[in-house]
Amino acid sequence: MTEAEGYVDQAVAGVAEPQPMYKALRESTPVFRSPQAVVLSRLADIEMALKRTELFSSSMDAVDLGNIRPLIPLQIDPPEHAKYRRILDPLFTPREMARREPRVTELVNDMIDRFADRGECDFHEEFAVPLPCTVFLQLLGLPLEDLDQFLEWKDGVIRPEGDSGYDRSHENMAPAAQQIYDYFERAIDDHIASPRDDVLSSLIAARIEGEPLTREEILDICFLFLIAGLDTVTDSLDCFFVYLARHPEHRHQLIEQPDVLPSAIEELLRWETPVPGVIRVATEDVEVGGCPISKGERVSPLLGAANTDPAEFPDPDLVDFRRNPNRHRAFGGGPHRCLGSHLARMELRVALREFHRRIPDYEIKAGTELAYTAALRSVESLPLTFPVPAR
Amino acid sequence: MTRVCVDADRCEGHGRCYTLAPGIFDADEVGHAIVRIEKVSGELEAEAIDAEQNCPEGAITLSP
Repeated sequence: MTEAEGYVDQAVAGVAEPQPMYKALRESTPVFRSPQAVVLSRLADIEMALKRTELFSSSMDAVDLGNIRPLIPLQIDPPEHAKYRRILDPLFTPREMARREPRVTELVNDMIDRFADRGECDFHEEFAVPLPCTVFLQLLGLPLEDLDQFLEWKDGVIRPEGDSGYDRSHENMAPAAQQIYDYFERAIDDHIASPRDDVLSSLIAARIEGEPLTREEILDICFLFLIAGLDTVTDSLDCFFVYLARHPEHRHQLIEQPDVLPSAIEELLRWETPVPGVIRVATEDVEVGGCPISKGERVSPLLGAANTDPAEFPDPDLVDFRRNPNRHRAFGGGPHRCLGSHLARMELRVALREFHRRIPDYEIKAGTELAYTAALRSVESLPLTFPVPAR
Repeated sequence: MTRVCVDADRCEGHGRCYTLAPGIFDADEVGHAIVRIEKVSGELEAEAIDAEQNCPEGAITLSP
């Protein structure tokens, strides 16, 4: 096995500090054929693959999540993709997210209330997992008591039992996927009967050239939201708080210079790249960096490698909360740029601001060995200890 | 004076420009960038450079 192969195995298995692997791949084999996919690690190649959707498709052939139809908009390529983004993008603009910020702030504080007096918490279990899931339920207008059920389904399709990383079998995911379809069928009925100010009602009311979305289209959008909106923010929170627990000088900067927060979030997104790569499939025989890729092969642009490429980032291994410019690709790029990026930014901003206001100092509990999950970078558990804040 | 231009075909709605330079850029209804002030100088010019350098799609051009 070559060194590069070993690194890719690590990435699939989940790795605490992937940046040295990105560097090694970029420098030794920037276009690397692994058993699962052709891995791209140079920013220029990654950018090309993300933009040229006619060559590198994001269709259902790229990733199987147990779904029976393409997820909308992720698995629909341009030009059809644009008609969906035209109705979805307005629901997720920074302005629309700002409108929801007070409620998220309240929620974050409620969650901190539950453990602040204890002097310790499992940050993953008690904060990073329930926060995005609760925000999602609020946003779509679904009952908050469905939280546990949602988490089970999400893990059932993202981390199905018996699967690891890219090596996925449709059969392992299909039962959870079917339950997701069934749940949203009922939720759509409920929202048709009583519309309200939420995203699901907006989808039902949306018109494309005068025509409403079909029920299947709405289901395929909801399924994508569930996949894309929950795990990724959990991953980001886990990665960020591990970093901040281990780098008190960076954490102090957030507290002493609150104005740095937005650019600190961009820098943490760059450095940690919680979604380290995406998957595409070649639509024809093509060559990248001298490496032939056959039609039908999977291609994985490694976003984390793009984000540490010295061709774009001077001193890429330096984490500088005031880095400017910072054209990171943590949310991808091109037509499939993460639809929820502004929701994610808002959740991360509120979480970091409120948590550090209430609990400025914390450590990872002594003796903890962090286990990172496969493919998406969360940790299985993140025990933090901190002084109990004075009342 | 510097002229600010956004290539609507390249813009994908990352929103970096109107976050960093709200005096110059705004969002349309889908969150893509529009230019509010086409000719800038002084402090606004510095903001425009910031936005141009931070656009992940390279969709902003500045010209004399």
